This record gives sequence, structure tokens and C-alpha cells, in this order.
Amino acid sequence: MTRRGGPPGSPPANPGALGRAIRYLGGHKRSATITYSALLVATLAQLAVPILVQNMIDAVTQAGTSLGDRAVAEGLILNAAALILLFAALRGVFSFLQAFFSETTSQGLAFDLRNAIFTKIQRLSFSYYDQNQTGQLMIRATDDVERLRGFIAQGLLMAAQSLLLLIGAMTVLAFTNFQLTLVVLPLLPVALVVFMFFGRISQPLFKVVQQRLSTLNTILQENMAGLKVVKSFARETYEERRFDAAATALMEQQIKVNRTFAFLFPIVFLVAQIGQASILYFGGRQILGGTLDLGAYQKFSLYLVYVFFPLGQLGFVISMMAQASVSAGRIFELLDAKSEITDQPDARTLPPITGRVEFRDVTFRYLNGDPVLQGVSFVVEPGQTVALLGATGSGKTSIINLLPRFYDVSQGAVLIDGQDVREVMIDSLRSQIGLVLQETNLFSGTIRDNIAFGRPDASDAEVIAAAKAAAVHDFAEGFPDGYNTRVGERGVTLSGGQKQRVAIARALLLNPRLLILDDSTSSVDVQTEVNIQQALDRLMHGRTSFVIAQRISTVQSADMILVLDQGRIAASGTHAELLESSPIYCEIYSSQLVDDAASSKAQEEARP
Amino acid sequence: MMMGGGGHGGPGRMLNTETEKPKNAAATLLRFWSYFRPWWYALALTGLLITVATSMQVATAPFIGQAVDCYLLPHATACWYDPVAVVGNQDARLAGLGKLVLVLVGLFMGGSILQGMAFFSMNWAGQHALRRIREDTFAQIHRLSMSYYAQNEAGNVMSRITSDTDTIQQALGFALLSVVSGILQLLITGGLMLTTNWPYALVSLSVVPFMAFATVYFSGQARRAFRKSRQEMGSVNAGLQESIAGVREVQAFNREDESIEQFRRANAANRDANVRAASFTSALNPVLEALGYVAIALVVVIGAISALRGAPLLGTAVISLGTVFAFIQYVQRFNQPIQQIAVLWTNLQSAVAGGERIFGLLDLTPEIVDAPNAQVLPPIKGRVVFDNVSAEYKVGEPVLRGVSFTAEPGQTVAIVGPTGAGKTTIINLIPRFYNVTGGSVKIDGHDVRGVSQASLRQQIGIVLQDSFLFSDTVLSNIRYGRIEASDDEVIAAAKLASAHSFIERLPQGYQTVLGERGAGLSQGQRQLIAIARAALASPRILILDEATSSVDTRTERLIQAAFDQLLTGRTSFVIAHRLSTIRNADQVLMVKDGQIIERGTHDELLTLRGAYHALYMSQFRREEEPAAA
Repeated sequence: MTRRGGPPGSPPANPGALGRAIRYLGGHKRSATITYSALLVATLAQLAVPILVQNMIDAVTQAGTSLGDRAVAEGLILNAAALILLFAALRGVFSFLQAFFSETTSQGLAFDLRNAIFTKIQRLSFSYYDQNQTGQLMIRATDDVERLRGFIAQGLLMAAQSLLLLIGAMTVLAFTNFQLTLVVLPLLPVALVVFMFFGRISQPLFKVVQQRLSTLNTILQENMAGLKVVKSFARETYEERRFDAAATALMEQQIKVNRTFAFLFPIVFLVAQIGQASILYFGGRQILGGTLDLGAYQKFSLYLVYVFFPLGQLGFVISMMAQASVSAGRIFELLDAKSEITDQPDARTLPPITGRVEFRDVTFRYLNGDPVLQGVSFVVEPGQTVALLGATGSGKTSIINLLPRFYDVSQGAVLIDGQDVREVMIDSLRSQIGLVLQETNLFSGTIRDNIAFGRPDASDAEVIAAAKAAAVHDFAEGFPDGYNTRVGERGVTLSGGQKQRVAIARALLLNPRLLILDDSTSSVDVQTEVNIQQALDRLMHGRTSFVIAQRISTVQSADMILVLDQGRIAASGTHAELLESSPIYCEIYSSQLVDDAASSKAQEEARP
Repeated sequence: MMMGGGGHGGPGRMLNTETEKPKNAAATLLRFWSYFRPWWYALALTGLLITVATSMQVATAPFIGQAVDCYLLPHATACWYDPVAVVGNQDARLAGLGKLVLVLVGLFMGGSILQGMAFFSMNWAGQHALRRIREDTFAQIHRLSMSYYAQNEAGNVMSRITSDTDTIQQALGFALLSVVSGILQLLITGGLMLTTNWPYALVSLSVVPFMAFATVYFSGQARRAFRKSRQEMGSVNAGLQESIAGVREVQAFNREDESIEQFRRANAANRDANVRAASFTSALNPVLEALGYVAIALVVVIGAISALRGAPLLGTAVISLGTVFAFIQYVQRFNQPIQQIAVLWTNLQSAVAGGERIFGLLDLTPEIVDAPNAQVLPPIKGRVVFDNVSAEYKVGEPVLRGVSFTAEPGQTVAIVGPTGAGKTTIINLIPRFYNVTGGSVKIDGHDVRGVSQASLRQQIGIVLQDSFLFSDTVLSNIRYGRIEASDDEVIAAAKLASAHSFIERLPQGYQTVLGERGAGLSQGQRQLIAIARAALASPRILILDEATSSVDTRTERLIQAAFDQLLTGRTSFVIAHRLSTIRNADQVLMVKDGQIIERGTHDELLTLRGAYHALYMSQFRREEEPAAA
């Protein structure tokens, strides 16, 4: 199952992705400005710390030498102490501002990204979902966003702080002792090369981590969705083994990453420490040579800390950055995914339709597969009912999917009231089509919410009217909370038949001109089916309806029957016509009779 | 997917209390330890490495001091490293300094390498522990009974395994190591201060309690806020999950904007909870830093004034100016690890919060567990007896009452009745997805509660209304019924279920990889594969939950034939609305309001002219008549 762990043809690493993510900061100019202004103040203030400490040492030394006047000496010391306290308070305020606004900014950025991802997910066309898994998408919206956020909140800030401190300290050092500064200088490019090297090699490692995490999540996701199947076949142990294998693969990759950084961190520290040791040697030589005094050396080595500390910090930032740019790449890959179904620039609003539907020589294939529809043409007049018949996989569902433009035709055209569905606004098209899908998905919320799904502004009276027509009213009223009864994530507390009726009520409330029913009365008992059948009859009345029908009564009352065979229309006409002319239809019709009817007389009549 | 049939309102007994659990950090940490115990040697090694590494790093400070005392400004009394050097000439001193620097580089290198190794071994142990936590959580997902999922959104459970473990992972590696290393530095530095001049050391360290208080206060607040944010993250996940699952409906009903708005609210709540947590975490570091400067000021003021006045503290030695300088250094060296520990402390805290939630899930007692003395159910003949069975999902709201029947081996039992009558409940009790609340369900005389669930369910085949398939190859999906089955057996099962011919037409035949939940196949095709899967399992007892209904008419006839073969010699329970199935059944149970109101064969029931007759008249007759016309 790991083969679908990554999207098909995993794209190359996206080097610009991190920069693009950082540009999202532009949406939070105010808090970003506060963050980096506070950072500037707080960091520059840090450069003053050695001066303040030196000031105190000087005060103590001076006090020690001016033994004569103890009051003056103590005054010096107290002043120096007061100065450092004042400094502490100020730096504290700016450090807080920097940290808090950085966090606020990054949270705002994560908020933006998640919303963007969610919006994208909502609008991606069905073909995207045929290829990508929920677990995949979830990881991008949660884990990848969080990694990126962590980098923006801390990594980027640390990087800015480190560079600022590094440059500031080097400047101070250069002014203090240029010759000694030249000793430190070669270490910087060395550090840079080390960083770049590790950044380069760790990025693909992190990418694999994210891929394996996605695989793990997909297994998890599937097990949550298919819980009952797993339990039914007592496959818990098998699934646990699968999950263990994925968890182990993830662990091994994480350990690999850690091994890399177990090398990086010591190297970075070592570079810094070797710098410190060589300053001791070369500084010592200057002292022994009499060109440097000890006080100046000490001041120099204090600032040296501000060169090496940021170096270590940058090493840490590199690991965050490598992770974040992988995550940013994954996020933008999703955000940049082209939704195949979008409004054309010059798309018109579809005016209220009468419901005339025409398929004009339609050929359709999913992705690059074999055509599932080939040269399909037919016309349906307003108010007519079309029954679709055919073997499993013959293309019935595909015809239905093309009407609301869930997919685009590969060739030919689908026209509603003479307008090509690709040339009108998707919203205006879909809002005039009522759909009762085969697998009914309800949303967590109340029964009322679910009925009013397509029209949240519907009045209670309208909702109840739709519920009554769909035979929902009785069972809804039976619950203690009536219409305000909550249904679970997938409508778990309702039976299949109840869910279907809610779905019918949902479609009824839209009062659409065009209706699509996908074999919706399958998973209910006989009594419920009678109820649903009656509800559907009411629903279909006076509308153009497409029904994938299993029911003989539907077929008989249909204005037109399309018999599909391997993506082609094998026969079309009314029940009576087809009974005369189409052997395929007769076969289907008789097989229905064999299964359903008691009377052998009926079978005799039906068989040609 | 979940409880169908009579599950109105869902079970109310199942716990949803893990968020109200007492927040016991100590217990949570102990639990973490139990996950680390198998890798104690890696932890011990880490401890050893980090102790040596930290000591080497701390030891560099006195050596740097010796560079001054022995070579740069030679001072006979202060130089212990190379006293001879004090009297040497410039060149000798420079050479000595060079050697000392090499010693320093050696110490630095050793410290760094050991630290890197400690980092690796800590992470190694952490990753292993984390894998175990993940695996345990995953196993718990399956151990929990169906009733749990009627109450808890899958997205919430998911976020335990994804975000919570991620937080733990971040804390277990680097953070924990830094904290340990920081504590060691504190101990060494504090020890040095105390041995130098203990009253002065106590004055210098007097800010430490305030630092501790600030850490505890801010991180406690942050932890509460993090817990909230984690819950909000759960709703974000749940929202995502639901909308991905229902994206077709969302688009069909033009609900994108509303659903985006809804997500935005959950997302904003999560952001706000995080920003609130940030106000505490962001305050901690600056407060600690400021307290560090207070400590320096204290050291200078108290030390220098004591030195100036020549007044020793608490009868110890007079403080020299040298001691004051040394203490300024010590306090600075003390402050840095404290800040580091405190900041990482919040990481550890949020890991504890994540751990609490995970362990809360792990601690839920599944409603259905194997009895301690559960036997393995031996190969069964398939005699199923319901003896005065009652069942309820909510206390006081029975969905089944006094249901008794016997299915002899090989019999087919058709269950009919209106929605919500309890049909699904009856079939859910046979593989013990739920427990009876009264009476018993026995298979070949074994109470299902007395045998292990695995041995029970392995002998029962189930075809659900919703044919769930995995995003794997067709071959693997069918083989799911019996993992060890050969390819030929899989193909034979597919042929039996009339699935072979359409599978052959798929782009890669049996090796075609299906999309999520079987995307790419029609509903009917999915069902055929589910039937093949059950056929391959070749169970003694077969449960069909309206399985034949959504296959198109032509295929259905084939399936019926397949079923006739499949049913032969097996005890079968069918919730069917096909008259032919009912007619062929050995026994028809008419269920209404949780009770069996009529039983017998189709013909017997018709002659009763009771509820079944009414059902027949309203449904099957209606269907037969137009067909006959």
C-alpha cells in the first residue's frame, strides 16, 4: 500500500517554496514589523552586555583603588548595578515583544496556509481525489504547516538574530583588534560550507521522513474508515503488523536524520571552539610580544562569544530550515495543484433552466485510462425521466458525473438548455441540480443542518416540508431532540435507510429542475424502500430526472431508457419499444424478473 | 459503516472522559519511562556520554584561566598547570601556551564528539519509544469497541497518533538532552560556587527560587493553554477529515463557502489558543534573563561592598575582588543553562500534555475484551443459538428484547423487518461487535463471550452494506479474506463471485491498484470484490447485510448463483429485501421493535396473514404485479 505514499511522479524539491512561504509574512506586516524591530533592538542591546559587565568590573576595580572614599566607591558600584538593572528591564520588554509577536505572526501565517489548503481541498476536482488519499492531504494541512510555522516562528527569527549578532560582533572585533579578527574570519566560510553541505544532504532525508509519515497516516486513516471490515475479518494483527512496518520505516528514517545531525552539531561547535582556542594562542602571542594588553584581550574574547554562539545557533536553524523547505514544497504542491474543473474566464451565469439535456457525441476517460464512455449522444426534454441501465462498470455513473461537471468530457459536449456546461459558472450549474448519491455522506451537525445543507438559509417550515416529503419527519420527531439531534461524523447514529432519506430531503429542499438519483434505495429494508420510493416519486415529479434504476417500476414509467454496454449506448427507447427491439434490454429485464417476481407467468411473458 | 439498524442515539455508556482526567504529570512521566525501559542501556549510555561531555566542556574554563596564570601574566601561586613555565622565557611560554591550546582543542573535540554521540543515542532510544507508543495507540484503535466510534470523531483519534506523537518526538530528543546537560552544568557550577564561599554563593543564587517560580508559573499557564490548543487542533483535524470525505457532497451542493467558513472558525480558535499559550511562553525567557542580570547586580553589590568594608559574610573568609570577578563569571555561566532548561521545559510540558491525551486513549477499557479464561473456539459446525437475548445501546432503551432462535448448521436465516427494528443488532451480536445485556449468544454451544474474539471472527464471514476496500491491488483486497491464500485461490474466489471477468478488463488486471476506499470501481464492482473476499475466507457462518442489493440486475443473477454455492453447507444470516432470498431461506425471522414477532418459512408466514403478509402485500406484490403486467 506504500506505492501510493507519494503523489504520482513526486515532483523535484522546491527550492523557492520556503521563500514563497516567507512572503506570506507580507499578510502580517504589522506584527512582523514589531517582531523584527524588537529583535533589532534586543539583539543590538545584547552587544552592550560586555560593556555593562566591563563597566561593573571597572567600577569594582576603581572602588578597590579609591579606598580613601568608601561612599564614592560604593556609589560607583550601585550606579553600575542600577544601570544593568535598567538595561535588564528594557531588554526584557523587547525580548518579550520579539517572541510574542513572532509567535503571533507565525500562527497567523499557519492560519492563512491552512485556510488556503482547506479552500483548495474544497475546490479540487473529483479527479484529484481519485488519485490522492485523505491521509496525504491531512498531513499537509497539519504536520507540514506546523513544521513550516515552527521555522517561521523560531528558525527564521534565530537566523536573523544570529546574523545580526554575528555581523555586530565582527564589527566590534574588527575595531578592537583587526589582526586577531583576521584569525577568526576564515572560520566563517568554513562554517558556511558545513551548513550548506548539511542543508543539502538533510533535505532529501527529511523529504523521505514526510513521505513515510504520510504512509503511516494513510494506513491509520484507512483503518479508521474500514474499522468494521478489519474487525470482521479479525485482521487486527495483520493491520498492526502493517502499521508496525510503516512505523519502523519512519523510525529508521528519523534515526538516519538524527545520525546526520549527530555529526553536524559537534562539527559546528568544534569550529567555534577551535576558533576560541586559536584566539587564545594568537592573542597570547600578541600579549607575550607586548602588542596587546590583557584587558583588551579579555574584552575581545567576550565579543568572541557573540561570534561563536550564533554559529552554533545557525547549525540548529539549518536543520529546521531543511525540514521547513520540504514541508513548504509539499504545501505549495497542493496549493498549486490545478483543479481541472474551473470556471472559464468568460463563463456566464446559467439562467434558471427548463431542464433540457443533451449529450453530443460524448467520449470520456478517467485520467489516461481507456474510454469509459464512447460516442454517447442523446437528448432529454424538460420534465422527462431517464432510466440508465447496464452492467456494473458500463458507464452509468460516468454519465451522471458529467452533468454537474464533476469531470470534463474528453470529447464531445454536454449541453443543458443548449449551453455547454463548460461555458457556464459551476456554481450556477450545480445549484440547479439535485443529487442523491449512492453513498450518502452526512456531516456532523444536526439533522436540520444536514437537510438544509444545500440551502442553509431555508426556514424551519421549508425544512420540515422537505423532511415530510422524504419520510424523514417521522423518525426525526421520534428522537428526543427532534430535528436538533446531532448525527456523528459520518452520520453514524442513523441507519442506512435513514441517511438516504435525509439525503433525499436535502435534494428536495433545493427544488432543482434537474435531478440525479444514483441507485439510492439499495441498502434499506422493504418497508423503508416503499417510503423512499414514494418520496422519490414526489421528488421526480415535474423535473428532468436521471435515475440509475434497479427497479422495474422505475424503468417502466421512464420516458426514456438508456441501456449502456461497455461505455456505449446499446439501446434506447421506452420500455415497450425496447422490449420489442433490444435483446440486451430483454435480458436485463428478464433477469430482474427472475430475481424479483414470483409469477412464472410474468417470466414467460418477459422472455422473448 | 458503524452501527446501523437500531443504533438510534448511539451508545451512551461509552466514556468520553479523557479530557477530564486528573492531570497528573508524574504519572504521565512514569508512563513515558515504561516506554523507555527496554532501551535503558541507550539511556544509560546517553547519561554517561553527556556527563563526560559536559565535564570536559566545564573543564575547559579552568584551563583557559591557566593560560593567563601560567603563560600570559605568570603568577606563581595561581598556576598549577605548568608552574615551571612561570619562570621560563618568552619562547618557552609561547611553546607552553601552544601545548595548552592543543590540550584545550582535545577537550573541545572530545566533548563535542561525545555530545554528538549522546544526541544520537538519546534520539535512538526516543525514536524506539515513540514507535512503541504509536503502535500501542494503533492497536488500541482496534481494541476499542464499535461503540466508541459512535461517540468519538475519527479525526480526534487521528490527531493523537499524529500531532501528539510529533510533540513528544520533538521533546524526547534534543530538548530532554539539553535539559539533562543543563542540569549537569548547573550542578557543577553551583558546586564550585558553594565550595569557594558558601554564604556569598547563597546570596548569588538567591534569584534561583524566583526563576523556578517563574518557570513553574509560566509553563503551567502555557501547559493549560497548550492543552486547549491541542483540543482545538483536534477539531481542525476532524473538520479536515470530514470535508475531505464529503467533498463530493460539498461540491454538489455548492457548500464550499460555508464549509470553508466553518473550517476558518475552528482554525481561528486553534490559532487564538496558540497565541494565548505564546503570551506565557514568550514571557518566560525575558523574565529569566532579567532575573539573571539581577543576580549579577547582587553579586557585584554585595561582593564588592563586603570586600570594600572588609566584612566577611557569616564569618567566612573576606571576599577578595578576585572572588567577585570569579562570581560574575559563575553567575553568567549559571544563567545560561537555566534559561535553556526553562524554555525547553515548555516543550517538555506540551509533550506531557500530548502524552496525557495518548495515555488517556490507551487507558480506555474496551467494552468488548476477551475473557481472562477465553478459549480458542475450535472449528465450528455453525449451530447458532440466541437464548432470550436482549441488547441496549443506552441504559434503559433496549433495542432487542427476549430474542430466541436456533439456526442449525447449514441453514439460511433471512431477517426481515422495518428500519430500526433490530436486524442489524442481531447480526452484530454474532461476531460479538457488541455485548448482549441479557441472555446469551452461543455458537456450537460456546457462549461468544467465552471464546477469543479472533477465533470467533475468523470463522464468520461478513459482507457489509458498505463495501470498504483498501487502496491496494485488487489481488490484495481479495486476499484480505485469507492472507495465506495462493493467487489461484484468490482467482477462484473472484470467479465464484463473478468478479473475475471485470477484474481481467482492468488496466493491470488483478494488480490494478485501487484508489482510496476502492475509488475507480463502481459500487457494484466493489461489492463483487467484497463478496470474493468473503468467499475466500470460506467461513462456517456467513453474514450478508443487504449485500446483493446494489449490484446491477445482470450481475446480480450471477451473484445469486455464487451465493447459492457460497451458502451451501454454511449457516447464513441474510438481511435481504430480495424475495428470492427470503423464499429460499430455511427460516424467516420477522423482527419488529426489537422482538421476533413471526417466524417460519416464507410460505408458512404468508398463511399466517400477519405482519409478514402485510409487508409482502405492500412491497413484493407491488413489485410482482407490474412485472407481470
